Amino acid sequence: MTILTQLKEQITAQLPKLDMVIGWEQGYDALHATPLFMRAAEDVERLQIGPLSVHNTATYLTGLRNKKVGLVVKGCDSRAVVQLQQEGLIDRENVVVFGFPCDGVADLTKVRRLIGDVGRVEEVETTPTELRLRVDGREEQVAMSDVMADKCRRCQYPNALVHDHFAGKPREPHATSDDYTDVQEFESQSLETRFEHWKSEMSRCIRCYACRNACPMCVCRDHCIAQSRDPHWVTQDDMVREKWMFQVIHAMHLAGRCVECGECQRACPVDIPILALKRKMNKEIKEVFNYDAGVDPQAIPPLLSFQVEEENINERGW
Amino acid sequence: MKIGVFVCHCGSNIGGTVDAARVAEASREFPDVVFTSDTMYACSEPGQDGIIQAIKDNQLDGVVVSSCTPRMHEPTFRRTVERAGLNRFMFEMANIREHVSWIGKDKEANTNKAIELTGIAVEKLRRDQPLFAKQFDINKRVLVIGGGVAGIQAALDCADGDREVVLVERESTIGGKMAKLDKTFPTVDCSSCILGPKMVDVAQHPKIQLYAMAEVEEIGGYVGNYEVKIRRKAPYVNWDLCTGCGLCMEKCPSKKSTDRFNEQVGSTTAINIPFPQAIPKKAVIDPKFCIKLTKGKCGICAKICPTKAIVFDQREEIISESVGAIVAATGYDLFDISKYGEYGGGRLPDVITGLQYERLLSASGPTGGHVKRPSDGKEPKTIVFVQCVGSRDKSVDRPYCSGFCCMYTAKQAILTKDHIPDSSSYVFYMDIRSPGKMYDEFTRRAMEEYGTQYVRGRVSMIYPQGDKLMVRGADTLMGTQVEVEADLVVLAAGAEAAVGAPQLAEKLRISYDKYGFFMESHPKLRPVETNTAGVYLAGSCQGPKDIPASVAQGSAAAAKVLALFAKDKLENDPMISLVDMKRCVGCGKCVRVCPFGAIKEIDVRGEPKAEVIETVCQGCGLCTATCPQGAIQLSHFTDNQILAEVNALCQL
Ligand SMILES: Cc1cc2nc3c(=O)[nH]c(=O)nc-3n(C[C@H](O)[C@H](O)[C@H](O)COP(=O)(O)OP(=O)(O)OC[C@H]3O[C@@H](n4cnc5c(N)ncnc54)[C@H](O)[C@@H]3O)c2cc1C
Ligand code: SF4
Ligand code: SF4
Ligand code: SF4
Ligand code: SF4
Ligand code: SF4
Repeated sequence: MTILTQLKEQITAQLPKLDMVIGWEQGYDALHATPLFMRAAEDVERLQIGPLSVHNTATYLTGLRNKKVGLVVKGCDSRAVVQLQQEGLIDRENVVVFGFPCDGVADLTKVRRLIGDVGRVEEVETTPTELRLRVDGREEQVAMSDVMADKCRRCQYPNALVHDHFAGKPREPHATSDDYTDVQEFESQSLETRFEHWKSEMSRCIRCYACRNACPMCVCRDHCIAQSRDPHWVTQDDMVREKWMFQVIHAMHLAGRCVECGECQRACPVDIPILALKRKMNKEIKEVFNYDAGVDPQAIPPLLSFQVEEENINERGW
Repeated sequence: MKIGVFVCHCGSNIGGTVDAARVAEASREFPDVVFTSDTMYACSEPGQDGIIQAIKDNQLDGVVVSSCTPRMHEPTFRRTVERAGLNRFMFEMANIREHVSWIGKDKEANTNKAIELTGIAVEKLRRDQPLFAKQFDINKRVLVIGGGVAGIQAALDCADGDREVVLVERESTIGGKMAKLDKTFPTVDCSSCILGPKMVDVAQHPKIQLYAMAEVEEIGGYVGNYEVKIRRKAPYVNWDLCTGCGLCMEKCPSKKSTDRFNEQVGSTTAINIPFPQAIPKKAVIDPKFCIKLTKGKCGICAKICPTKAIVFDQREEIISESVGAIVAATGYDLFDISKYGEYGGGRLPDVITGLQYERLLSASGPTGGHVKRPSDGKEPKTIVFVQCVGSRDKSVDRPYCSGFCCMYTAKQAILTKDHIPDSSSYVFYMDIRSPGKMYDEFTRRAMEEYGTQYVRGRVSMIYPQGDKLMVRGADTLMGTQVEVEADLVVLAAGAEAAVGAPQLAEKLRISYDKYGFFMESHPKLRPVETNTAGVYLAGSCQGPKDIPASVAQGSAAAAKVLALFAKDKLENDPMISLVDMKRCVGCGKCVRVCPFGAIKEIDVRGEPKAEVIETVCQGCGLCTATCPQGAIQLSHFTDNQILAEVNALCQL
């Protein structure tokens, strides 16, 4: 029995007790998946998992707080579940988690950079090492190693960290540690270079807020400071300053909360590498508090608690 | 909105380096400002009357005063605008003195900066809302922490003012350091004779509940309504039964126990009553030395005790008390003299601290008041006193003066001559600090009448030679080296914050300085208050103090408590946080960070929401900084007000 079949059986069995189960299905073409909301047994048939199931299903959870929701999760999605649970933003007893071993997802921006903007993809065959796409009758092959999302290369938790059902056997982590080399490299540049980098990147922002909407930890909804006039942190002026201000606020609000699912960056229509800002904050949090977001449901996120003195900032020497 | 701006010259304090008239003129350009003026002293009576008149004449809705630090005069001006009929929160202050005139000499730059700070205040005022205080009940009981002379005085004065007092003392008896002293300067009256009656008063006062051998474990709540948990250690003796007869001490075979009361000059029994005048006069077993508690055998005291008071399996207990105010009077402890290796403190038995010497002088001390040196019990004939050991010395991180050592050294020199008429005393000093009524006369007496030899200079080393101690030092007045062959050396160990003082300060949520001494609210004008409402200071926990000063501050703290308790209701400070229900997602992060437990979770139509308990919130703003939704805002310091201030600064 394949993992997918097993997963479908598990979901079908639980579905009567749930309002819905969220997973993925094929979207407008074979390359693009889209979230699937399974309410009836026949919906389950359309479920797909694999390298194209990129979305973080946990993003919907806070909007469905009073419903009984099943959730098919990759490892990184499950970290969002854990973090939301830690922060009291979901009721764990209302959520049923279906896990499976995740082999990593494709970064469609990387695919596009390799084969160009090819239009409608008719068929995609996925193997452990390759994606074979049929476009306009011809076949394109890309190695998974070339298009795997960066987050998957450093993924330490490919098996759902919390789950009520698990299909298949847990797999080896893709990496054993994350030393934030990408952040370190970026930081090794001069302040001016870094400043110019962000100025030019942020100049492309169209303020669609797809990054925010895709983020499972963004829970302010109608009250996001991006639009709010009270408090009036950012204005609607069309200026890099305002766009960047929003990203900085987002990064600050996600410090020690961001589970690095990369949804913000994936959702960005103009490919601004905004995950770097959140990784920078997480790196600091890791150094100061030795804390990883969304790993231990019992842990308390360091910036959401108050201690007179932190263990690693021992100023008093008691 | 109509705003008036008043720019103060503060005599020449501000006027000297800021063109106040120009600041007033420039302020006319700020939005909503309809009236400006510059005034010589805004806080003076004519100054305040001018503000009131301007409010009335121009129908002002709010006022900015550009003057000094809000710490002093914000309350003054709030009352002023209130007298003119405005809400007292329709007022802002720009500090153009501490932040401008006192720190820069360039009049042009200063004036510009003063204009900018005034502009910021105007922007904040434009977003101010009238705020109204809530009233709440007050619990008119007071907790006094520390039963030294300062705490005793505070407790007695409060109790005499007809208020219930809870007195918590860490040791098994009250009295503090003063109980260990032989005589006291400058009158050389017997310390226990003048302290003893006060201690008895504490024991007998119906309004005072004393917990000895106890420490404060936890403090919750706020002014008027503190909840205190007190940890009472186990004395292994039922104090309700113990009569203090002392029979147990006579028979206890474990005679090598640490004698804390006698500053470890000699040792004592495992079951012990520290001194005859102890209050409460109850026996305590030291579990480190009790043979029954360490080895399971013995139990002689239990057999001998006529009231069967010994309880070997006694446990410590936690007691809860509710009070409305707290006086901290935890005193000081002594600098560790072994830190000066060259003096041999802790290593050479005949190099002792001043407090140990007090015990040797005292008739109730281990030697019965006969001065005998610790090493061989011989009466010393040459005694050297070394001052400033752990005071006024940056190299040991004790740059401050301990205040009372000059005086007690003179006292001890005098007493030495009284005890041993054929003795000679030397005092090595840096300079003599004796300001105070009859103090300088007293040190003069030590020199002139008692023939004490004062040598101005530091001691460089002390080393043993035969059964003597060689004290080598400099005489800086003569410009020579001196060497004295001494029988006994007394080091005037400096005063340090009491052990555990910073930890207690944090429980009390009061500030403490680098050395652990508690911080007063204002060094000159609020020396008894702390920055936490309802918490007051008495005695040397605030900085080294002699007995007269400690007693005075004890009484002062009591006066503050009684004044607080004179009201039937207290008003909260309305600068508190409030939750915007629409925005709140009920994550409870604010609940978790609030150090005052001021936020509770409530249920609003099936959804969890946060709610601030208005009388508990102290307006610290932690929750506002934590709430990712911006759902909780601090009144009078909203995000919008802060942003408006920043914007004003960036755009000016
Ligand atoms: C050698 C020597 C001689 C002196 N001679 C004189 C003199 O002749 N005349 C004079 O005016 N001054 C003299 N002084 C100074 C005098 O000792 C102090 O002024 C006085 O003791 C200060 O009283 P206090 O109540 O502030 O502190 P303390 O006497 O230190 O009392 C503090 C009390 O609080 C208790 N405590 C501490 N921490 C806690 C806690 N966390 N919880 C509960 N209880 C706690 C302590 O056990 C103690 O009982 C002398 C000092 C020394 C060292
Ligand atoms: S980060 Fe890990 S769990 Fe998430 S998609 Fe990549 S491999 Fe899967
Ligand atoms: S900030 Fe980006 S990477 Fe982090 S949790 Fe949100 S969407 Fe995921
Ligand atoms: S998704 Fe990209 S373009 Fe849209 S607001 Fe975010 S950063 Fe800007
Ligand atoms: S932190 Fe903010 S959103 Fe969360 S419960 Fe408190 S007020 Fe509500
Ligand atoms: S401001 Fe917030 S955190 Fe501070 S005391 Fe008030 S409710 Fe608590």
